[in-house]
Amino acid sequence: MRRHLAALAALWLVLATAQAAPVFELDDAGLSPAQRDATRQLLDQAVVRLPVAWREALDRPIAVRWRVDLPDGVHGRATRWAIALDRKLLDGIEAPGGSADQRASAAAAALTATLHELAHLYDRTPRGRLSRDPRLLDLAGWQVAALGPGRRGRNDLRDRSPDAYELASPREFVAVNLEHYLLDPAYRCRRPALAAHFDAHFGHPPPPPGGACAEGLAFVQDDPGSADPLSVIDPERIYAVDYLLAEPNAQPMSRWGHSMLRLVVCAPGRTPGPECRLDLQHHLVLSFRAFVDDVQISSWRGLTGDYPSRLFVLPLGQVVDEYTKVELRDLSSTPLALSRSEIAALVERAAQLHWGYDGRYLFISNNCAVETFRLLHDGVPRLAGRALAGITPTGLLRRLRANGVLDEAATPEDRDLAARQGYYFAAADAHYDALFAIARAELALDVADAQAWLAAAPTTRAEALRRAGLRDGAALLVLESAALRREQALAQDELKRRWLGRSGLAAASGRDDVASALQEYLRLGGAFSRPAAWLDGIEGYGLPQQAEREALRARAVQDATRRRAHAAALEDGVMALLSPQRRERVAATRANIVLIGERVRVLAGDHAGP
Amino acid sequence: MKRTTLLLSFLLLSAAAPLALASSFAGTSAGASSAGSSGSSGSSSGDDKLVEQAQEDAAGFVASEGLLRTARLEAALRVLRERDPAARQQDDLALARAILARQ
Repeated sequence: MRRHLAALAALWLVLATAQAAPVFELDDAGLSPAQRDATRQLLDQAVVRLPVAWREALDRPIAVRWRVDLPDGVHGRATRWAIALDRKLLDGIEAPGGSADQRASAAAAALTATLHELAHLYDRTPRGRLSRDPRLLDLAGWQVAALGPGRRGRNDLRDRSPDAYELASPREFVAVNLEHYLLDPAYRCRRPALAAHFDAHFGHPPPPPGGACAEGLAFVQDDPGSADPLSVIDPERIYAVDYLLAEPNAQPMSRWGHSMLRLVVCAPGRTPGPECRLDLQHHLVLSFRAFVDDVQISSWRGLTGDYPSRLFVLPLGQVVDEYTKVELRDLSSTPLALSRSEIAALVERAAQLHWGYDGRYLFISNNCAVETFRLLHDGVPRLAGRALAGITPTGLLRRLRANGVLDEAATPEDRDLAARQGYYFAAADAHYDALFAIARAELALDVADAQAWLAAAPTTRAEALRRAGLRDGAALLVLESAALRREQALAQDELKRRWLGRSGLAAASGRDDVASALQEYLRLGGAFSRPAAWLDGIEGYGLPQQAEREALRARAVQDATRRRAHAAALEDGVMALLSPQRRERVAATRANIVLIGERVRVLAGDHAGP
Repeated sequence: MKRTTLLLSFLLLSAAAPLALASSFAGTSAGASSAGSSGSSGSSSGDDKLVEQAQEDAAGFVASEGLLRTARLEAALRVLRERDPAARQQDDLALARAILARQ
């Protein structure tokens, strides 16, 4: 018995608790007794932090060595049931001349390195295998391939990483994240889904709600008109998530439509329920789009993935205007059948992408439909098992329906009713002819239809505007707004033809002031498309917490103000680039809007009476 | 009527020319707002902004004598009625006219 114990003394037994604990075999050649003690302490500290399942899985002796020959910046290395640690860490802990702070920081680095290497060993055990866990790979950012099977080799969840090394491989991701899971109390605030996944994996009960995390989820809205773009969303306030589809139209690149998600956020004070569907001013749209950051654009770059694909968060009103009024496309909004907790998880995933995702737009394999599919797949584990993958927005809608993921019970069949209740937003031009017929009858106009009316000279229209009554005036107000949008579209065409030759806007125009203002505007727009950039140089990773949000708000408000100022200046500059005829038409149409707007305002006021 | 943010749509399509053919492709943020409903209302509350944005919808409703009803109009009518007890006494058409009179 005594001999047996003596033999064991050559080994190192670290019994942190009465439960099974890993056995370490320290190669102590060349270590002083103090260094041996320090090493023992370090391993003790690591082991007490390990979850029970992890300790139990490390069921073979682990060789431990301090090495002087690790490459620069490498603190440790794990091989088969052996870990090596950088000798410099030990020297730092034991440095006789070092300050207490220096020693503590070396000890912290050594603890991190030890946990990292133990994580690798654990990951290789049959109990571990986290780096091959499909759900972990989803959360980590090694997403499923659009044209599966398999996963993408790249991980674009790169912004706001705690340690860029995690992106090297799924194995490193697991080791880095387990480090933070064990050592950083804020990990579950910053990467809640991963923390919950580790909790479940290790059989830990979920922590009580509340805690020290910042409330809600922070998003930066890309609303050019807004002075304060930072908004904090409480997932509890989201009644539903809709699949929002911009219907395809005849334009070559719009043939497939555009996929988005709509968050049906309830107005403050309203209990989440069907009533929230009309709180349109609070609804948000999640839209993956290519961000075009250059004045000289190449379609080739779009095909080869040169443009960033980012998750934009937009007010619903802006999206409705953009599609129905500018592009004249229908929007359909179909509720997804999700539970409350699935909605919360989906929106949290969206926030994680909003802050961390910097993808590449690829016309086939990484377009809006693919990105939206992946957001659903990765955000709601239940959906990961469904055959939803598709590369077109209408195809995704079909698959959502076929897999029972849509909740169409409440969606009215009747288009008018659907339009009233916000399940459908009709292209604005659907009613132009009917509106024009009202004005034509009332004012005896000698023009065939709405299209001809919009194309007529603004001065011709002005004559009718001056004698309009309330009802026909209201019709003409709608049409005049349409006329202005038409003029804008034509002006854009003209700008393209005149100034965007091979040599680009700056060189061709000689208008450096406009070109540089445009560059600056696009640069500011870039910040809105990648909000993580505002947090460069500020401590933190994952979802921004309180201190980051304060810094963020200040910077975002400043850039929003600057962008609006640039927008105003640019508007004048761009007008100067138009031909005199086009400029005249734009100006006259604007004057018409003021004219008919004022007339309708007065008539409507009179009608209301005292 | 407030001035439209003409520039934004200019930038969108002039800068993103060949790509702007598809909105899923036409990046940049610039939401080209519509003539009747845009404006720099950053300081106004969400409710005010909603009512302001519903003016074109209200115009269509008044012109069609109630046939063209959009969700945005319904939402604006509800906001007005929730905020103002007097508005609850008025019918939809009268309230839509009131929205037009506010511009």
